Amino acid sequence: MPDFRKPSHLPNLRSDGQPPHPSWLPRQRVGISPQMIGRYPDFDVMSAVDTWDHATKKVVLARLEPSGPMRFFDTEQEKTLRAFCDVVLAQDSEPRVPVAESIDEKMASGQLDGYQYADMPDDRETWKAVLGGLDQTAGARGGHSFAEATLADQEAIIEDFSTGKLSGGIWDQLDPKRAWSVCMRAVLSGFYSHPWAWNEIGFGGPAYPRGFMRLGPTSTTEPFEKHGSTSEDPADVVKGSHS
Amino acid sequence: MSDLLRGLLKGAVGPTDNDSRFLLDVHSRELPGEDTMRRYAPNDEVDLVVIGAGAGGSVLAQRLARQGWQVVILEAGPFWHPDEDWVSDEAGSHGLYWTQKRIIGGSDPIELGKNNSGRGVGGSMVHYAGYTPRFHPSDFSTMTDDAVGADWPIRYEDIRPHYEQVEAELPVAGQNWPWGHPHKYPFSPHPVSGAASRLWEGARRMGIEMRVGPVGIVNGTFGNRPHCIYRGYCLQGCKVNAKASPYVTHLPDALSHSVEIRANCMASRVEIDQSTGKATGVVYHQEIGGQEVLQRAKFVAVAGYSIETPRLLLNSTSSRFPNGLCNNEDQVGRYIMVQGASQTAGRFPDELRMYKAPPPEISSEQFYETDSSRGFKRGFSIQTVSPLPIGWAEHVLADGHWGRAMREYMRDYNHWATIGVLNELLPQPDNRITIADETDPYGIPIARMDYSLCDNDRANVAYSTKIITDILHAAGSQDVLTIHRYAHLVGGARMGSTPSNSVIDANQRSWAVPNLFIADGSACPTQGSANPALTIMALASRLAQQMASGAAMSDDAVVRAGRGASEPARR
Repeated sequence: MPDFRKPSHLPNLRSDGQPPHPSWLPRQRVGISPQMIGRYPDFDVMSAVDTWDHATKKVVLARLEPSGPMRFFDTEQEKTLRAFCDVVLAQDSEPRVPVAESIDEKMASGQLDGYQYADMPDDRETWKAVLGGLDQTAGARGGHSFAEATLADQEAIIEDFSTGKLSGGIWDQLDPKRAWSVCMRAVLSGFYSHPWAWNEIGFGGPAYPRGFMRLGPTSTTEPFEKHGSTSEDPADVVKGSHS
Repeated sequence: MSDLLRGLLKGAVGPTDNDSRFLLDVHSRELPGEDTMRRYAPNDEVDLVVIGAGAGGSVLAQRLARQGWQVVILEAGPFWHPDEDWVSDEAGSHGLYWTQKRIIGGSDPIELGKNNSGRGVGGSMVHYAGYTPRFHPSDFSTMTDDAVGADWPIRYEDIRPHYEQVEAELPVAGQNWPWGHPHKYPFSPHPVSGAASRLWEGARRMGIEMRVGPVGIVNGTFGNRPHCIYRGYCLQGCKVNAKASPYVTHLPDALSHSVEIRANCMASRVEIDQSTGKATGVVYHQEIGGQEVLQRAKFVAVAGYSIETPRLLLNSTSSRFPNGLCNNEDQVGRYIMVQGASQTAGRFPDELRMYKAPPPEISSEQFYETDSSRGFKRGFSIQTVSPLPIGWAEHVLADGHWGRAMREYMRDYNHWATIGVLNELLPQPDNRITIADETDPYGIPIARMDYSLCDNDRANVAYSTKIITDILHAAGSQDVLTIHRYAHLVGGARMGSTPSNSVIDANQRSWAVPNLFIADGSACPTQGSANPALTIMALASRLAQQMASGAAMSDDAVVRAGRGASEPARR
């Protein structure tokens, strides 16, 4: 049984800099988490939805609604965008948080962050250039589009993208490291604003007007929140703790 | 009230001359008085038009309205209705930030938006964390003392009474403060969360003193302002009304004294009478593509913060000021500053759930002053912070993780505690606001902000990052993740002793236009390593006193030059 008090699963502490394969994680037992894995299998943030204020409920629940067809990206770009989002978030199976859709919505409605690097185009043009650049690099390396490349090839391209090592063609029109930060800002905001991701990480979510009472150090878990646990049969865990 | 009495009475006696806390409604988060607000016609020559309903503009308006002045505030953003407009959610709070386009350049471009720029009634304080430290007396004479930065034309003692008054109005909760000019706070410190107490223990083991607070968050009974509920969304706008912002601390009282807040009104230029050289009012847009409107006024105060204030001045060109208003000496937009705000996070065996309790908890100013053994001038402060999931993801990304590694660190969220620094970065003439080639949807040219660190800045950031990393190790962290970032803004239209080194005089009146004042953080010549909100409010409070008494209108050269460098700071 994995011991979460120990940090041995953390990438910085492992020789290859990568976490163990997620198969060691428990399956989600209540609610939904991305790929149905997580550290809090008995926690569903949606169980507290009745305690959220009206305005917050409206905004958060809208993220669970099915989204329509893409408005900003064309079909070719959509394929590359989906592949990019899957790789940078390691979403390799359903259920997936619809991150590509949230980015499309942001770009279509012009909901930008309020600054543009002097040596970079507008965020919307940056996105289109990056998607084109990913296809260009994938084509040069393996003859496929980025979406059709193998996962290993995709990950190698993203590794080079994240460290600013891509160059040539489209990449020379922008600063790749800044482009990486522009894209990831939108990706992370799309993923970690979704209640499924909150289930995965055990985040208590909106708390107005109820507030939080258990700030620590004695206890940090509200009654509706659940401790991190594993995939063991809960009955055995309870039995074990009493024996 | 004396500092001793404030300490003894701890919140039992409220501030005078500000009824905001009683005017608020216990059951709703609306700014009371919006419907019955006094309305002025653009053609009425009001006493004062203020641009920007943030920390500076709101305090100035409230104070002068109490003296019988007729005041109109023009605010570019919306008139918030927090029950409907604000949410307990990170991504959903995007609208609180100034997200209109700006160009960023220089060798260290500053990402704007959520860390430094607000929009709407209440300004950036709607989404600031809540830390409200004072500047130190040494901040006002860094050039004399350390040959870096600049000397202010005023001294700590000049704004000290205003610090005390504003602290009572917010009200500030915290332990007795041992650093800078030692002082007490009107409210007791908040409880310390499990995450922050780990960090405190690490600091203690290293011999670093930390104190709880100071934060502008209600801890107890304060009129109709509720107690904090520790939900952790300070940076997303306080739906509780527990965290201080002008929206709850000064604007209710301002509206009840006949101030008009004209929201969704984007100022495009200050109008100047070319024969007298005086400002006659402010031209603004009520809607995109709409007619320009001139609000006439006897005095104009610009309080749009360090990017919008210089932008407005630079865009206000005329035959008297071909390079922008008050810019004939080429000083407007220069010496803009941000603070280094690197953060490190440490991993602990227990679930700490740092998202509970206010993100601002405990802080230290032990490293605030110059210590020549560190190899750089001036210093930094240390403050605990608590990123919510999206903020935490950006922290993990900055340490170089994406994909499976990102997911793994994110799943570990509840085991982490985060500590940050605020570095005093030095004012430099080429860190400045200029006008870019593009225009915004109103047709107004947008701002460009260039920023480059100097060697002293880099040495400060590197040293301070090592200190907070050491704190985490001393606390027993199992793993550490670091992000380098920046926060806050001041400078850009600074006060000084002569027109050749500043835009405004010791009373924040522009050297070039006799009835034009700067009433926001743009006025600061240096920034210390204190969060700027309290100082911006205190400066506006002092400015109001000087304007009401007429002292600010003095043309006496000695008065305008202020104290200069002749009086060294009290240490």
